Amino acid sequence: MSRRHAPALLATAAVALAAAACSSTSSSTSSSTSSSTGAATADASTAPGGTLGGAANTSTPAASLTGAGASSAQPFLTRAFYDYSRSNHDVTVNYSPAGSAVGISDIQSQNVDFGQSEVPMSASDQAKAKGGPILQVPVDLGGVAISYNVPGAPKNLHLDGDQLAGIYLGTITDWHQIDSSIPSGTTIVPVHRADSSGPGYDLDRYLIDTSPTWVGAIGTSTPSKTWPKANVGIGQQLNSGVANYVKQTPGAVGYVEYAYALQNGFTNAALLNPSGSYVSPSIASIAAAGSHATNLSSANFDIVNQPGAGTYPLANFSWTLIYQKQPVTNTGIALGKLLDWLATTGQRNAVPLGYAPLPADAQTVAHTELLQLEDSSGSALFAS
Amino acid sequence: MTYRPDAAVSTLRTPEASSWEPVAGIASILERRRSRPRGRLYAAVRWGGAAVFAGVFLLLLVTLFHQAWAALAHMGLSILWRGWNPAKAQFGAGVFIVGTLLTTVVALVIAVPVGLGTATFLAGLAPRWVAAPCTVLVEFLAAIPSIVVGLWGLIVLTPLFARHVEPFLKEVPLLGALFHGQPLGASILLASVVLAIMVLPTIVALSRVAMSGVAMADREAGLALAATRWQVARKVVIPGARRGIRAAVTLAMGRAFGEAIAVAMVIGNNTALPHSLLSPGATLGSAIVNSFSEANPGSLEKSGVVALVIVLLAISVLVNAGGQLLLRVREEGPPPRGPVDGAVEAIAGTVGPAS
Repeated sequence: MSRRHAPALLATAAVALAAAACSSTSSSTSSSTSSSTGAATADASTAPGGTLGGAANTSTPAASLTGAGASSAQPFLTRAFYDYSRSNHDVTVNYSPAGSAVGISDIQSQNVDFGQSEVPMSASDQAKAKGGPILQVPVDLGGVAISYNVPGAPKNLHLDGDQLAGIYLGTITDWHQIDSSIPSGTTIVPVHRADSSGPGYDLDRYLIDTSPTWVGAIGTSTPSKTWPKANVGIGQQLNSGVANYVKQTPGAVGYVEYAYALQNGFTNAALLNPSGSYVSPSIASIAAAGSHATNLSSANFDIVNQPGAGTYPLANFSWTLIYQKQPVTNTGIALGKLLDWLATTGQRNAVPLGYAPLPADAQTVAHTELLQLEDSSGSALFAS
Repeated sequence: MTYRPDAAVSTLRTPEASSWEPVAGIASILERRRSRPRGRLYAAVRWGGAAVFAGVFLLLLVTLFHQAWAALAHMGLSILWRGWNPAKAQFGAGVFIVGTLLTTVVALVIAVPVGLGTATFLAGLAPRWVAAPCTVLVEFLAAIPSIVVGLWGLIVLTPLFARHVEPFLKEVPLLGALFHGQPLGASILLASVVLAIMVLPTIVALSRVAMSGVAMADREAGLALAATRWQVARKVVIPGARRGIRAAVTLAMGRAFGEAIAVAMVIGNNTALPHSLLSPGATLGSAIVNSFSEANPGSLEKSGVVALVIVLLAISVLVNAGGQLLLRVREEGPPPRGPVDGAVEAIAGTVGPAS
C-alpha cells in the first residue's frame, strides 16, 4: 500500500473509535429523547440506510443535496463537504451561505434539503415548517470574535460588557477611552450586521447578560438575531461584509465568526467572562465554552457567557435543520450519512479553520437526532 | 379588369373613392379571409394582454396590502415619518424615505450633467472614429448588472472614498458643510456615486439616440447662422431632443429609486437620520433587501418590510407623476420654440453683451 493511503487508514481508525464511542452512549440517551419515534425503530437488517457510524463509506446512494443558511458555518461546511466528496464521488452538496434566516425560511418552505443556523428553530419556527417535524443536528462549535483594526493598538484589548455596550451604543467614541496606550483622536467605527445573524444574537445575548446600560438602551432583555442598535455605526451584510469593512477601515471594530477573523488575520479583543478573566477567542477557549453544553438540545443551546478561567464568552453550536420525514429515501439516507460523518470524522476539518471539535455530548445529540430520520412511510432509515 | 394591389389598398382605406366598384369583390375576400379573423385575434390579444397586465398589477397590490396590513394598522400614517426599530415594534419608513430621496437626487445631480455632456459630444461634436467605439461602449455599460457596480463600489470605491475622496471634500470651502462628519467610506455620498455610475450609461445611451434624431437641417440652420458647434448643441440639439432626454432621466430616476443590493453594499446600513452626505444611511430598497430574509413569516416585522415595499411603490409613482406634471406645466407655459429660434438666440448671445 502506498504512502498516500496512510491518512485514509488513520481516518478509518478514528471513525471506528468514534463509532464505538457513539454507539455506546446513544443507546442510553435515545430512549429518553426520541419518544416520538419509539415505534419506528428498525434493526440493521431492515433499515434501508444500515447503521450510522461516522464513516464516509462509499455505499452512500448517489444524491445531489442542497442547503442554505448561516455564513458563519460556511468555511467549515465548504471544506468538509469537499472532504466528503473525495471518498463519496456520487454525493454532491451545494451550500448557499445566505444567512441563517434564509436557512430557516428555506427549510420551512422545503426549498432545500437542509438549513443551517446558529440559533436553532424555536417551536413557533418549527410550527411553520411545511414538511412536518424538524430534526436539529449540531455540526460545528464556533466562536464570535470582536475584531478591531486600530493601528498601533495592543493585541487582545480587554473589553467588558459595559465597554462593548458603550462602543455599540455610540457613547464611547474614541479608542483612547478603551486603552490609554492608544493616542486619542482614533475614532471608533462600530460595525454591525445589516442582516440578521447568529453572531449578532450571541453578542446581544452577552451584552444583555453583562451590561444593564445595554438593556436600558435597547429596551428589552430578549436577545435578537436582528441587531438592535442599527442606528449606530456601519451595517454590513454577512460575516464577509463585516470582515471586509473592518479590514479596510482604521478604527473599525466588528463581530465576526472566529473562522473569518482567523482567515483575515484580525486582532481580537479579550472579553470578560463570569469568572472574572479576560479571554480571547481560540480553539481552546471556544472548546472550553462547548464543554459546558452537558445537557445540549435544540431548546437548550445557549453557551454564551459561561464561567471558567479559560472560557471564551461568545461561543455557539451551528445546527443543521432537516425534516424527520424524508420524502425521497435515497436523499434521506445520503443526508443522514453525510451529517453523521460531519459530526464525527468530518470534525477533522474544524480546527485548521478556527472551529473547536464537537464535544462528545454534542456528537451524541447529533447521533440521536439522525436516528430519528424516517422515509415517507414513517419507518426508520437507520438502525441504532 | 385586372386586380391592382395599390388600388385595392387605397379602396380599403377610402371606401368613398370612385374606384370602389371594380375591386369590391377582392376587398370583401380580403376582409373575410384575412382581416376579420386576424382582427378578432388581434383584439383578443390586445384585450387579453391588457387584462393580464391589469390583473397582475391588481394582484400585486392586493397581495402587498394583505401582507402589509398588520404593520400599516399598527403604524398608521406615522409610518411616513417614524424610524425603524424592530426591537421596539416600530416599523416606520421615515429615515428610509429621506435616504431614498437623498441618494436619488444626488445621483441625478451627478449623472444628468455628465450624461448629457457625453451624449452631446457623441451625437455631434466627436469625430466619427471616437464616437463610434464610445457609443458601443456606453451601450455595453448600460447592460452591466447593478450587482457588478455594487461590488466594485464595495471593494474599490469604499477604501478610496474613506482615504482620499471624503477627506478631500471635507476641505472644500462652502461645500464642506455638506460633508461634515467622519469619512467612513460607506455613506450616502458613496451610494449616490454608485447609483450615478449605474444610471449614467442609461442617460447617455437614450439621450444620444434622441439627439441623433434632431434633424440635420436644424443643425445646419444653426451653423449657417454662424453659431459654434457648442452653441448648436446647447440651443438646437438639446431642446430638440427634450422628450428623449426626459425619458432617459425618468428611467434613470426609476432605476436609482429602486436599486437595492448595490446600495446595501455601500451605504453603511444605518437607521439613524443622516446629518451629512458622509453619514451612513439606508434607503427603502436597501432596508428591504437587508430585512426581508430575517423577518419570520407571519410576524409584524415581515409585515413592516412589505409595508416598506408599498411605500417605495407609492413614492416612485408620486415622484414620477410629479416630475411629469412639472415638465408639462413648464412646457405649456412659453410657446413652443423652433430650433432656429434657439440658433438665432445663440447668435444674439454671442453678438450682444457678454452673457
